[in-house]
Amino acid sequence: MPRQRVVNPEEKFPTVPGTVFLFRSCTGSLEYPGTENAVKETLASLGIHALMDPDQTCCSGYLLTCSAHKPEVSLAITARNLSLVEKKDLDTYTFCNGCYGYLSELSHIMMHNPAYLQMANDLIARWGYRYEGKTRIYHVQEMWYRLRETIGQKVVRPLAGLKVGVHYGCHYLAKQYGILDDGGYPTFHEEIVEILGGTPVFYKERQLCCGYSVGRGFTHREETVQPHLFKKLTSARDAGVELITTVCPGCNVALDREQPNLGKRFGTVFKIPVIDLSQLIALAMGMPLQKLGFEANTIPLTGVLKKLGL
Amino acid sequence: MGPDFHTSFRLERIESPLKRELKDLFGIDVDTCLECGKCSGGCSNGHVFDYTPRKIVQLVKLGAEETLLKMDALWICLSCQLCLDRCPSGIDIPRILDHLREKSRRRGIPATRPAVGLFHDLMLDQVRKSGRVSEVGLMLRFNVATGQYLNDAGLGWKMFLKGKLHPFSPSVKSVKEVRRLFEESYGKKT
Amino acid sequence: MPENTKTALVIGGGPAGMEAALRIAQAGFHAVLVEKEPELGGTLRDLHSSFPRWENPRELIDHRIGLLTKSRRVTIRTQTAVMSSVRQAKGFRVSLKSLGNGGREGYEDELDVDAVVLATGFELMDASVYGEYGHGIYPGVMTSLEFEGQLKTWAQRAGDIAVDAPHGVALIKCVGSRDRSKGYPYCSKICCMYTAKQAGLVKDLFPDTRVYVFYMDYRASGKEYEEFVRQVIEEKHVRYIRGRPAKVLPEDGRLLVRAEDTLMGIPVEVAVDMVVLASAIVPRPGTLLLAEMFGARTDEYGFIENEPFEPARSSERVFYAGGCGFAIETAGALNQGAAAAAGVTALFNEER
Repeated sequence: MPRQRVVNPEEKFPTVPGTVFLFRSCTGSLEYPGTENAVKETLASLGIHALMDPDQTCCSGYLLTCSAHKPEVSLAITARNLSLVEKKDLDTYTFCNGCYGYLSELSHIMMHNPAYLQMANDLIARWGYRYEGKTRIYHVQEMWYRLRETIGQKVVRPLAGLKVGVHYGCHYLAKQYGILDDGGYPTFHEEIVEILGGTPVFYKERQLCCGYSVGRGFTHREETVQPHLFKKLTSARDAGVELITTVCPGCNVALDREQPNLGKRFGTVFKIPVIDLSQLIALAMGMPLQKLGFEANTIPLTGVLKKLGL
Repeated sequence: MGPDFHTSFRLERIESPLKRELKDLFGIDVDTCLECGKCSGGCSNGHVFDYTPRKIVQLVKLGAEETLLKMDALWICLSCQLCLDRCPSGIDIPRILDHLREKSRRRGIPATRPAVGLFHDLMLDQVRKSGRVSEVGLMLRFNVATGQYLNDAGLGWKMFLKGKLHPFSPSVKSVKEVRRLFEESYGKKT
Repeated sequence: MPENTKTALVIGGGPAGMEAALRIAQAGFHAVLVEKEPELGGTLRDLHSSFPRWENPRELIDHRIGLLTKSRRVTIRTQTAVMSSVRQAKGFRVSLKSLGNGGREGYEDELDVDAVVLATGFELMDASVYGEYGHGIYPGVMTSLEFEGQLKTWAQRAGDIAVDAPHGVALIKCVGSRDRSKGYPYCSKICCMYTAKQAGLVKDLFPDTRVYVFYMDYRASGKEYEEFVRQVIEEKHVRYIRGRPAKVLPEDGRLLVRAEDTLMGIPVEVAVDMVVLASAIVPRPGTLLLAEMFGARTDEYGFIENEPFEPARSSERVFYAGGCGFAIETAGALNQGAAAAAGVTALFNEER
């Protein structure tokens, strides 16, 4: 029989946790602090307390290719970070596809290769850390989908039919099994947009990777990343998208900060604001604008906010 | 494909220790590849790869390790994992590439894209020094190191004024632990 | 041959079932042919043409129905289902139910039979599992059986059908077959042939339409099969591209298919108006119920399995033929129907 890839959210989360460990994202906190705020506030209004640890380092992966350089370091860092969470006996929730992909992949490697797990634990043992593989890795987008009904009930600023084009990004759907929607044609973000009162737009290059990857946005910007983004943003613009949502601060940087560069290079103007899905949810649920941190966005949100009467 | 074009590719002389390695380390069995090409069809950067994902798996089967360690695709792959998602046999191509990248670095083979190696070193260095990565700091150092001093200057200045940039990232509390971690693992033999 | 009242129950009125019933009757025994649809013919009724000789399946159906209705030893029960069965000393007592036959709906009756032939055929897998191909999302994407219906519609329409002509059609093979990840690992055997047939038919109807077949292999192992596929490629000019497509995307009202031409090793794209998915062949859910009812063995997918050294028999007094055993073409189904009949008549002769 064909293997079932997609899991029902109620099956994956039979009970909603009261407290979770929120894994900090470097790009998230430094480039778009509003995203982190939005995640924390939304979790709080859903009755979930988000615990963070100032001692948690960057996942160090910036997605999956950093490990090439010093794999032992990446494994040890992951083990250290996750053991911090295990000390608190919680599950790990990230709000960045990159952190999610990285933590999932490396924890999987350690759980299936006792030698690697041993090496990582040896390195971190001297400070009393020990990684056992007990904490499970999730992304907050899963919790948003799981609690979408509750979110719907708490919407105070419906999105007035705003045309939203979602960007799923890569590492969550690529996991294939045990995820909430199929990578072939995902729709769960669009469902959330509809619940918030927006109009989802299925633009042609909806599922295209943003191209930024582990710093490819720095190293290959002109060669591959900009034409890539150009393809994606053109498709979004031609479909009439007014706002793009992401679930990864890395993707957010790519799609948001590159628009003026694309304008200069290709001579076309894109003015589509890009925010995190959590920020959109928080906005609809009434979070004060100052806390949402839209000043950090390169492409201003003024048009969208005006449309929503804010 | 092979380095020597004057003679035919003798199939009976082909062995692939790499194939065995991937099976033992990660459980990746390239024999299950149906050569269908669905991976390459969906590859985000397939049109600029020198070897498309399907060809990469074929190279593993042929044991062409030298070619694999020196190819350009290693350094422009985005790790979007679409190839893995589409593969009817579930072959973890991103993992194969990760492994090849590690190997090529360990062997000291210069990457076809030196900027990538530089970037990763700078990034890991930031993590080592402060436990966190500041994208701006990283960007500045990268631009300096590659001689593109004014690359993002115009944009950056405006952003800095608007308070969007935090060039100095706060260090992690136990940053000394992190530094020791790096030292120990750098010192460790692989 | 003296009249003998031994009776076999043949479940399923497609080519396999019709053949079995006919041969059992010709050997001097009785057959009750049960079919849940209002007409005999099975999947053949949905087909516009057949490989490898481009014949009209309707002619075969009509020919067989003619022989069956003339036979005094065959009882045809259409719109009838088998509800239950109790194994007896040398046979089964089955309960049949009418599914709506002008006043006889719900009518149940019981029958004693001495052997059973399962011939319930196959169906196609639900292709909407492959979100990347957009079945159920984009109207131009359909399974091969749905497309066969479209071919019939085009062929039967009088007048100038050029106005309906799609500019491009892409046929994708191995959707669900040869797929350990989301589908079934096995090969569904007949799709390479019927895809070539469908591609060829499109070119016959609309010579200017561009037709592409995306394949991993083409499997043409049968009499006149290879020549058939070569004819489609060389004479009808259908373009075969080796590569399993990664995605179907909407573009300007058309459908864009993205794949790799693996022979060249380059990514390719083509814009078409219709995408036809050769979806994997799977057993019908009813087959599993019947197998349980009669004690027949099935494999992990629900196909009927044979006993060792008995290719047409699944268990004591239970025979099978055709698509319920695995994917099969018409000629194969006919042969297996005859083989099942041979098993039945051997059994009946033994016990005379």
